[in-house]
Amino acid sequence: MPSFLTRSLFVFRKLLVGAMIAAAVALLVFGPRAGDKLPKDCVIVDYWEKWTGDEEAGMRQIVDDFNSTVGRDKHIFVRYLSTSGIEQKTLVAAAAGAPPDVAGLYNQDLPQFGALDALEPLDEMAARHGISARQYKKVYWDECHYDGRLYGLVSSAYDLGLYYNKTIFRDRAGALRAAGLDPDRAPRSIQELDQYAKALNEIEPSGRINFAGYIPLEPGWYAGYTCIWFGGSWWNETTHKFTFTDPGVVRAYEWIQSYSKRLGAQQVAQFQSGFGAFASPQNAFLAPTVAMEQQGTFFAQFIHNLKPSMDGQWVAAVFPSFDPKLKDATYCNCDVLAIPRRAKHPEEAFEFIAFVNRQDEMEKLANLHCKISPLAKISPGFLRHHSNPYIRMFDDLAASPNAHPTEPVPILPEVNDELLAFTQQLSLLQVTPEEGLERIQVRLQQKYDEFMEDQRQRHLIR
Amino acid sequence: MVRIHSEARAFLRGMAFLSPWLIGFFAFTLVPIALSLYYSFCDFTLLQPPLFKGLANYRYLANDPIFWKVIGNTAIYAVMALPFGLLTALGAAMLLNLKIGGQSIYRTIIFLPSLVPTAAAAMLWLWLFNAKLGLINVALHALGFVNPPGWLTDARWAMPALVLMSFWGIGNTVIIFLAGLQDVPRELYEAANIDGATTFDRIWHVTLPFISPVIFFNLIIGIIATLQIFAVPYIMTQGGPARSTYFYTMYLYDNAFSYLKMGCGNAMAWVQFLIVLVLTALAAWSSKRWVHYEGA
Repeated sequence: MPSFLTRSLFVFRKLLVGAMIAAAVALLVFGPRAGDKLPKDCVIVDYWEKWTGDEEAGMRQIVDDFNSTVGRDKHIFVRYLSTSGIEQKTLVAAAAGAPPDVAGLYNQDLPQFGALDALEPLDEMAARHGISARQYKKVYWDECHYDGRLYGLVSSAYDLGLYYNKTIFRDRAGALRAAGLDPDRAPRSIQELDQYAKALNEIEPSGRINFAGYIPLEPGWYAGYTCIWFGGSWWNETTHKFTFTDPGVVRAYEWIQSYSKRLGAQQVAQFQSGFGAFASPQNAFLAPTVAMEQQGTFFAQFIHNLKPSMDGQWVAAVFPSFDPKLKDATYCNCDVLAIPRRAKHPEEAFEFIAFVNRQDEMEKLANLHCKISPLAKISPGFLRHHSNPYIRMFDDLAASPNAHPTEPVPILPEVNDELLAFTQQLSLLQVTPEEGLERIQVRLQQKYDEFMEDQRQRHLIR
Repeated sequence: MVRIHSEARAFLRGMAFLSPWLIGFFAFTLVPIALSLYYSFCDFTLLQPPLFKGLANYRYLANDPIFWKVIGNTAIYAVMALPFGLLTALGAAMLLNLKIGGQSIYRTIIFLPSLVPTAAAAMLWLWLFNAKLGLINVALHALGFVNPPGWLTDARWAMPALVLMSFWGIGNTVIIFLAGLQDVPRELYEAANIDGATTFDRIWHVTLPFISPVIFFNLIIGIIATLQIFAVPYIMTQGGPARSTYFYTMYLYDNAFSYLKMGCGNAMAWVQFLIVLVLTALAAWSSKRWVHYEGA
């Protein structure tokens, strides 16, 4: 005869199992359901975008604007999806025949994707919507083209300037004046930048760097375009040849390496390893462990969000050039909206892209992202109310004749990887600029020529 | 006739039960492998039909200095991580096999790190190896080292750093060694004691021969794992500094998914397969001399 305890345990186990099954059934029947509530009589346009956080929130407002106005009238509903690895996912989805209707790519993806016939050319659709070069700053219109075809339109744009911490300049005014420098303004040439950096450095007798006036490779995202400020370029669009041995390019990398030579390669590497993540209060400029940094228009928003106590303590200026006669040089970059090949609803997708490129919506998004407008026409209110107090300077720079776009090279991922590895070798003093640039010129030219030959065999070159 | 008919029906019934697996095997394993071999002889960007180019991809790799660089890096990593990893795991297993108090706690401590997801472990070690703020260098400073290594920022130390980090995940290997050690008959140790064997003699003449099949298994698994290293350096160093931790599988990934040279990526995959095959065959051939199976 089972004891009372045994019977009780048996009953308890049965009740427990019963309760678990009941809970599972209840969850299945009444539990949360995935998926948006999509309108039934609309064409659903799938829009994949790389943005998260504040940038995603900003773009979602534009999507909501479209869905509640033009989209409602034309029975189009844009469904936003935030995804990482946007380039690879778009390509794989396109290869599988199931791409999104709109892909939010980087401008540097356009040459590769365009060369591989992965995107719909937008020339005809743009012409039908009255979109033309006249409406854009030249540099951004150029960024959206490859081989004479329009493959995307800008969603957000920025360019580069020099951010400096004016409080640190003021606090160390004595050291700056002793070096013959003005603490109340930014450096006006590369040579002056080096002098400011030297005067502001704090280095222990052992060589350990505690504070740096400037480090060329912080953040290092734009190192491949440093040659712009040295009057050089590593790509000749006319001859389709790499020109890494251009004197301006060599001078730029000599300058980058000069900091490792002066401060010590390992000392610089160790110093940089102590920097926190870009989007954190331990960012080198915010900590602060550097006094000056080359950054984009959007940096003002990061400063405000991550370290509001720094508001009003920084200044943005034109990044100085090696030759003072080279005025208002900058590197321009942007995010683009493109339509992958075999997208199900290209016409509807372009309606959304055209909407984003309207002046009012573009300025709204640029404000939310703290970026400039790529459009030639700007409303006075946009400049007055922008969250970056130096927006006028950044806007003027993008319209300058020395505003430089991303090079339209279809093997740009390989170029970027080679340049990154080369820059690291350079900063570790493993290679001289001349020999490293010579080597990558030969290697990349060969890769480019092979790529173009393959494209010819595929009849993809016009 | 009736018998053949019933045998055929039994066979068909068996195949019907096997068919889900067979269909899956063909569709998701065999056909992709065959296509991969074909694509390795093509220029294939994923977006256009493959263009047959014969041995062009293999010739390209043979002349590519980065290809040889990544092979060198992967070989150096394997030579450093594999033997030291096996020795460390075996040593840990021998210690965990001792009859002491808290044995299960020590075993748990050794095994737990291997349960941590790779990305989380990589982020943790990224900070441990931080040249300025990392705990390792803070400890080295405290011990009087004025200029500790730059670890992941120094091309000379980045590889040793990754090798050190690989010891963090020896838990699985330790468990397998432990299982093998517990299978060694106690009578052999007792007989050795009677013959006056020292601790070293017992390990060398009793333990190691008896667990040699386990060592062989871990060696093969280790060869495959070290030659395929990807996630940790991808997260921690992205191949830097200056390609000092740029490994074979990372270059394969870049070729296939960044540069869209799927043909080249497939060729690299087949080269890697052949290398692993040759090394495994070599290990299997050598095992005749040093692996002793019970009952053989």
